[in-house]
Amino acid sequence: MRRAATMKFWPAASLAACIILSARAQISTTPIEGLRDATPRVHAIAGARIVTAPGSVIARGTVVLRDGVIVAVGAESTVAVPADARVWSAEGRTIYAGFIEPLAEVHLPAALRTEGTGGESTAGARGGRGSAGAAPATEALAPAATARSWNARVTPERDVARLLAADDRGVAALRELGFTAAAVAPGRGVFRGESALVSLSGRAPGQILLRPRLAQHVAFEFGAGSYPASLMGSIALVRQTLLDAKWLRDATAAHERNPALERPEANASLHALADHVAAQRPVVMDTQDELDLLRAQALADEFGLRLVLRGRGAEYRVAAALAAKKTPVILPLNFPAVPEVETPDKAGDIPLSTLQHWELAPANAARLAAQGVPVAFTTAGLRTPDTQFWNAVRLAVRRGLAPDAALAALTTVPAQALGAADLVGTIAPGRLAHLVVATGDLFSSAAGAEIVEVWVDGVRFETEAAQKVDARGTWTIAWRGATAPADLRIEGRGTARPRARLGDKDLTFTQTRGQLTLLAPAELFQGQDAKGTVRLAGTVTGGAIEGTGLLPDGTAFRWSAERTTAAERPAAPAPREEKFLANADAWPAGAYGRKGIPDQPDAVLVRNATIWTSGSAGRIDGGDLLVRAGKIEGVGRYLAAPAGAVVIDAAGKHITAGLIDCHSHTAISRGVNEGTSAVSVEVRVADVLDATDVSLYRQLGGGTTTSNLLHGSSNPMGGQNQVIKLRWGAGPEGLKFAGAKPGVKFALGENVKRANSTPSATGAPLRYPQTRMGVEQIMADTFAQARDYERALQAPPGSALPPRRNLRLEAALEILRGERVIHIHAYRQDEVLMFIRLAQQEKLTVATFQHILEGYKVAHEIAQLGAGASAFSDWWAYKYEVIDAIPYAGAMMHRAGVLVSFNSDNNELARRLNTEAAKAVKYGGVPEEEALKFVTLNPAKQLRIDDRVGSLEPGKDADFVIWSASPLSSYARVEQTWIDGRPYFSLADDAALRAAAATEREALVQKALAERVRTLGTGSTPAAGARPAADTPDIIRLLQAIEARHAHEYQGIYHDGADAHNCSTHALQ
Amino acid sequence: MRCNKLFALLGAAAVAASASDSIPAARPGKPLLLRGATVHTVTGAVLPATDVLLRDGKIAALGPKLAAPGDAAIVEVSGKHVYPGLISAVSGMGLTEHNSVRGSVDLAETGALNPNARTQPALNPDSDHIPVSRANGILTALSVPMSTGLIAGTSTLIRMDGWTWEDLTLRAAVALHVYWPSMAVNRDPGAARSAADQERTITDNLRRLRDAFAAARAYVVAKDSAAARTDFDSRWEAMRPVLRGARPVFVHATERKQIEAAVAWARAEKLKITLVGGIDAWKVADLLKAHDIPVIVSPVLTLPLRREDPYDASYANPGHLHAAGVRFCIANDGSAEMGTMADRNLPYQAAKAAAHGLPPAEALKAVTIYPAQLLGVAAELGSIEVGKRATLIVTDGDPLEVATQVEQAYIDGARIDLTSRHTRLRDKYQQRQEQLKAGGR
Repeated sequence: MRRAATMKFWPAASLAACIILSARAQISTTPIEGLRDATPRVHAIAGARIVTAPGSVIARGTVVLRDGVIVAVGAESTVAVPADARVWSAEGRTIYAGFIEPLAEVHLPAALRTEGTGGESTAGARGGRGSAGAAPATEALAPAATARSWNARVTPERDVARLLAADDRGVAALRELGFTAAAVAPGRGVFRGESALVSLSGRAPGQILLRPRLAQHVAFEFGAGSYPASLMGSIALVRQTLLDAKWLRDATAAHERNPALERPEANASLHALADHVAAQRPVVMDTQDELDLLRAQALADEFGLRLVLRGRGAEYRVAAALAAKKTPVILPLNFPAVPEVETPDKAGDIPLSTLQHWELAPANAARLAAQGVPVAFTTAGLRTPDTQFWNAVRLAVRRGLAPDAALAALTTVPAQALGAADLVGTIAPGRLAHLVVATGDLFSSAAGAEIVEVWVDGVRFETEAAQKVDARGTWTIAWRGATAPADLRIEGRGTARPRARLGDKDLTFTQTRGQLTLLAPAELFQGQDAKGTVRLAGTVTGGAIEGTGLLPDGTAFRWSAERTTAAERPAAPAPREEKFLANADAWPAGAYGRKGIPDQPDAVLVRNATIWTSGSAGRIDGGDLLVRAGKIEGVGRYLAAPAGAVVIDAAGKHITAGLIDCHSHTAISRGVNEGTSAVSVEVRVADVLDATDVSLYRQLGGGTTTSNLLHGSSNPMGGQNQVIKLRWGAGPEGLKFAGAKPGVKFALGENVKRANSTPSATGAPLRYPQTRMGVEQIMADTFAQARDYERALQAPPGSALPPRRNLRLEAALEILRGERVIHIHAYRQDEVLMFIRLAQQEKLTVATFQHILEGYKVAHEIAQLGAGASAFSDWWAYKYEVIDAIPYAGAMMHRAGVLVSFNSDNNELARRLNTEAAKAVKYGGVPEEEALKFVTLNPAKQLRIDDRVGSLEPGKDADFVIWSASPLSSYARVEQTWIDGRPYFSLADDAALRAAAATEREALVQKALAERVRTLGTGSTPAAGARPAADTPDIIRLLQAIEARHAHEYQGIYHDGADAHNCSTHALQ
Repeated sequence: MRCNKLFALLGAAAVAASASDSIPAARPGKPLLLRGATVHTVTGAVLPATDVLLRDGKIAALGPKLAAPGDAAIVEVSGKHVYPGLISAVSGMGLTEHNSVRGSVDLAETGALNPNARTQPALNPDSDHIPVSRANGILTALSVPMSTGLIAGTSTLIRMDGWTWEDLTLRAAVALHVYWPSMAVNRDPGAARSAADQERTITDNLRRLRDAFAAARAYVVAKDSAAARTDFDSRWEAMRPVLRGARPVFVHATERKQIEAAVAWARAEKLKITLVGGIDAWKVADLLKAHDIPVIVSPVLTLPLRREDPYDASYANPGHLHAAGVRFCIANDGSAEMGTMADRNLPYQAAKAAAHGLPPAEALKAVTIYPAQLLGVAAELGSIEVGKRATLIVTDGDPLEVATQVEQAYIDGARIDLTSRHTRLRDKYQQRQEQLKAGGR
C-alpha cells in the first residue's frame, strides 16, 4: 500500500515508462491455481466532467488508471490515452473521487460491532442518555494481548487490520452508494482499538487493506458492575489511561537508557497509545449528545490529541463552541421522521426539542460548515442506507450545505481527518483508482442523478442503477396469435411503482430490470364475457419489447411493442428557501431555552424593600440594594440611582441573597455514583456538567442561585464535587463557580456498606467494606497510600523510573494537603466520631458533614473539629440508620457552635430552601435572620465562597432574590432571581418564555402537519429516505411503518428534570 | 436463605424499636372550655376572642364569653388560635416505619387484585409516626393501601391517638383504592422494552381492570341466585359494597391520559370515583367539572411531569382546580416511598398552592373541611362547629406557616400528648450539652 504514496510524486511525463513497467497481472504471493488471469488493468475513462476535488472541475476530461492507481487526469486534449488502455466512454457523465465511509463495520467480526446491530442502527444505540451501555461483549476477542490494561474496556491494542473478515454483502451495499474505501472501526469499549482503511472491492483481506492503525477509537462507555459505571468514571478512565501511556513511554525510554532501573511493566494497551499521545495519529471520540462533544474536545486539549469527533446529529446546538477549534466532526444522516402530530394527544407528548430537532437536523452540516467546522458524513445510524443516504445528503444541501462541502464531506474531509489524503479523497496521479461515475450532479436534488459505476482499485463495478430499465411511456403493440388493444401505457412518478394500462383496462404489472410481467383480464382478448387472466411476459431493449403470452386456455402467442413516447420527466420543483421556525439560537434546546445569558445592566437599584442581608447590617426595612457591573455596591436606605440604572420598585417585597444548596445532584450527566470501587476520588463532577438540565431553571424559580454538585454516597471515598451557579442558558463551563474551593465527597454508613452487598449469582466477592469497621480502615489505608505516593513523587530524578501520576492518589494527596476539602455523608454518631478522630489524626479539612442527622449527639465534637453540618431539615424514617433523626438537630448543632446549613439533595426540595430554613425557627427557635443564613451565608462559608456570595454586602456578587413576602413564609413566592447582576428569572420573563414556547410549538406542529398530510396523501416517503411502504399506497401500512420508526427515532433529547438523583433513599444511592 | 435471615433480623430490630412511648389520652370525663382564642371555624367566620366548649368528645358550644359548666376545666388560650385538626387524606400512617427496612413496611400486598385487603388490621398504633405527625396538627389520617398492581384494597380513616387499631379507627373501608396503570410509553431507543411491548402491557392492564369489575359483578349475580351453587371468592365478595354504590372508588391517577381514561372508565362502569394524585388535573379541569369528579391533589410539592410544563405546574394545580369549580382537597403523597416521614408537612403543601394562585382561605379548607367532605366525614370533622367532634388544635398562628407552633391538640375532646420520639431525643441530648457545659468543655 505504500506504493501509491511514492507514485504520486511521479510526473505525468514518465507515463510511458509506467506503461511498459505495469502491463502485467497483479503481483500476488498466493500461488496461482488453474489458469492465470492476465487481463490488462489499464483503463481510460474519457469524455466526462471530472470533479478532481471539491471546487476543482475539468469540464471534459480523461482519467487514466493503471494497476489500480490513477496515473493521469486532465482535460481531454492534454491526456494521452495509453495504447494498452481499455477506453470507456463517459460522455455526459460526472466523475468524482470515490467516497470514504469513516465509520464502517464491514469486514468486522460480529463481536466488535456496535451492540445489537449488524451495522449500527439508531443514534444512541450504545446506551441512550442516562443509561449505561451493556458490558462489552468483546470477551470472545479479549484480551487482544495478554500483557495489557487491567480494564476490560481498555483495548486500544485491538487492531482491526489483523481481524478483517470476509464481507461481500456489506461492501456491495456501501459501493452502491458510491463508497470505495472505508475506515473499519471497532464498536465496543472505552478505548476500542485501531481502525483500518480498506478498499470496498469485496476481495480477500490481504487485498483490501489500505492502511492499518488509521485512528484510535474512543467512547465514554460504561456499564453496571465494573469500573467505570458512570460517565464521570469513563472520562476519568480515559484521562488516567492517556497519562499512563505517556508515563510508560517515558519509563520504557528511561529503562533503556539505564537498564539498572526497575523494569517497567509490559503493557500492550498503553504501548498502542504511544502515537496518539504524541499527536501522531488521530483519535476518534464518540459522543451521545452535544455535551459530549465539549467533553471530548476538553480531553483532547488537555492531552494534545489529534481529535476527530463523532457526532449524533444535534451538533448544530454547539456550533459556535466547535468553531473555536474547528475539529472535524463525523455526522450521521439519520434525520428524524416527521413527528406524528395529527392527534392532539400524541402531539402533546412530543417535546418542543424534538420538534425543533426534526426541523433543524438536516441543517446540521450546513450550520457547522458555516462556522468553518470540517464535516464528514457517515452512513452509520441509517436503517436503510440504500434509500435514505442520498435523500439525506441532498436534503442537507437543500438546507444550506454547499454542494462542494457535501462532496468534501464524503471525500477530502474524511481523508484528511483520518490521515489518508495521500491515498484517497481526490482524483490525482498517484491516488488509488477509486472513482464514482454518475449521470450528473449527485448533490443537486433537481438533477436526480444516479451513480452508474464505481471503480475500486481500478476494478469497475456497475451499480444496480446502471441496470435499471425505464419502461415508462406509451407503447404500440403488435399482437401475433392474439387480438387485443394495441395501446399500452406504463406510467408512474418518482419512486412509486409504475402502473400499466392496456386499452381501457388496468393490468397487474411488475418489472424486474428489463423483464416485464403483465396480467390482463381475458375480456381484452376474448370479448366481454371471457373469464380468466391472460399472462404476458416481455423483455425491454431500448425502445422495443419482445414478448410472449398465454391465453386462459393455455394457448401461446407472441407480441412485440415499440415505444411511441417516452415517459415525461416531471419538471423539478423550484428549490425554495427553507424558512426555519425553530428557535435555533436558544440554549438549551426546547422550552425555556434562552439566547445566551441575560444582559448585565451597568447599574441596578432595587428600592424600598425589606432586605435580609445575612450580613452585619442585619435586616433593613425600607432598604435599597445598589448593584454595579454585577457586584453589590451598596445596601442601605435612600441610595441614589446612578444615571441609566435599572430601577426596581420593590415596596412591600423582601430581598435576600441568592439561596445556596450545599447538597445537590442537579445537572449531572449519566450517573451520580461511580461506586464500583471503594475509592474513586479521581472522578470529577466537573467533567459531566449537564447545562441542559431544566432543573436549573426550575430552581431559579425557587430562588436558588448556587449549588454544590456532589458525587453520590455509594462508596466511602467518592468523587470530586463541583460548585456551580445556576446560570441557565450558559454552557457547562459557564455554570462553574470560578475559584470555589475544590472538594470531594466521602460517605459513611449503610450506603457504603450496602453497595454491591447482594451476593451476586456469579459468586463474585463482595466489595470491601461491608461494615463500619472496614470503612474506617479503607480510608486510613488510602491516606497511607497517598503519603507513600507523595514520597515517590519526591524521589530524585534519575534514581528511579519517572514517577507515574496516579490521579486517584493525587486527589487523596490534595485532601491530605488541605487543598481539597471533604464533604462527608454521615448519619450515626459513632461513625461521625470515628471520622472526626481520623480527620484530626490526618489533619483533614472537613468542610461539611452531610445529612448528619445524629449530629446533635456529637455537636460538641463537630464544633471542635471546626467542620460544618449540611443537614436535612426534618427528614427521618427512610432507613434504619436515621432512626434517631430529629428535626431539632439543626438548631441544636447551631447552638453548640456548629456552622449549620440545610440542603435539598433533591431537585424538588431545591426549589424551596427558604421554607426549609424556616424549620430551624420552628424546631428549636433559631432567630429568623440566623435561620435564613442556613441557606445563604452558612453554606457559602462551608463551601469557602463567602467572600463572593451568601450575603448582601458591598463587594459581593449581585446574586439576589426578590420575594413577594418574608422569605421564611410558606406563602412567599419568588418574583425575580438575579445572578452576577443579571436577571436569570422573573415571573414576567417566565410568562414570556412559556408563550414563546407555545407559539414556536404550534408553528412547528403546523409545519410538521403539512408534511404529514403531504406524505400520507401521496403515499410517498414520509421521512427523509424512508423505503416506500407498499406496492400501492396503503395508509394503514404507512402508519404502521411510521409508528415502528418512531419507536426508534423519538427520544427525549434532554433531561426531563425528573428527580432521579437522590442519594439518600435506599433505592438510589 | 441468607437474605431471608437478614430480613428477619432487620424485622425483629424494627419491631423492638418501634413502640412509641407516647401514652394515649383517656376519654375526657369533664367538659373543657378553651377560653378567648381566635377561632378559625373554616366553614364560617374567623371569630376573635371566642370560647369553645368541649363536652362528651364534641364541640358543645361556641361563642364569646360562654358560661362554663360548673365542672368544666378552663384553659386560657387568649392570643392563641383555634383551628380544626388537619386531615391527611393520603397517608401511610401506621403501615410503615422505616421505608428501607422491609420488616417495618406493610404498604402494599403482593398481586394485582387485592380488593379484599384491608389496611385497618395492619395499623400499628405504636408507630412513631403518629405522635410525630399529630405534633404538627395532623389529627386525622386516611391510611391508604399501595399497590404494585391494580386494586390495592380499602383504606381506613384514623384518629391519631389510641391503644389499638380499633381505638384508632374512625371509619373502616372508606374507599376501594384502584391504581390506574401507567399509560406512559418510553419511546427512548435505549428503553428496556419496545414501545409496542409497553403498549401491549397498558392494554393488558386496562383489560384486567375491566375484567375484574365484570367478574365481580358476574360473581355477585351467580352467588345471589338461588339456583346456582357458587363457591366463595374473597376478592369479589369484598367488592359488593363498591358495586352496590355503598363504597366509593378512589382512583390513583397522575397523568392526563390516565385521568381521562379513568373518567371514561368510571362513566362506563357507572361508578362514583374520586381521583387521587391528579398532578395533571389542571389540564383536564373542564372534564372533571363536567362529571363532578373530585380530586385529592397528592402532592403539590412535586416536580412538573414534563420538561415543558410550567415550573410551578404542580404548585398552581389546586388554584386552577378551584378557579374551574372542581371539588378538591390537598394531601401529601403519604403512602409513597419517603412519603410518610413528611406527613407532618401537610400544611405546607397547601401553603405552596396558596403562594401560586389558590386563595389562602381555600388553602386552609383544602386540608380541613375539603378532605372531610371528600372522605365522607364532613358532618363530624373539618371545621369548628357545634356538634362536630372536638378534634382541634391550638396554635400561636397560622398552621400553614412553617414557624407556627401547635401548642395543644384535642382529639374527640381529649387533650393529647404532643411529645414524640423526636422531642425525647432532643431532651436527652440537651442533657449531654448541659453536662458538657457543666464539665467546662
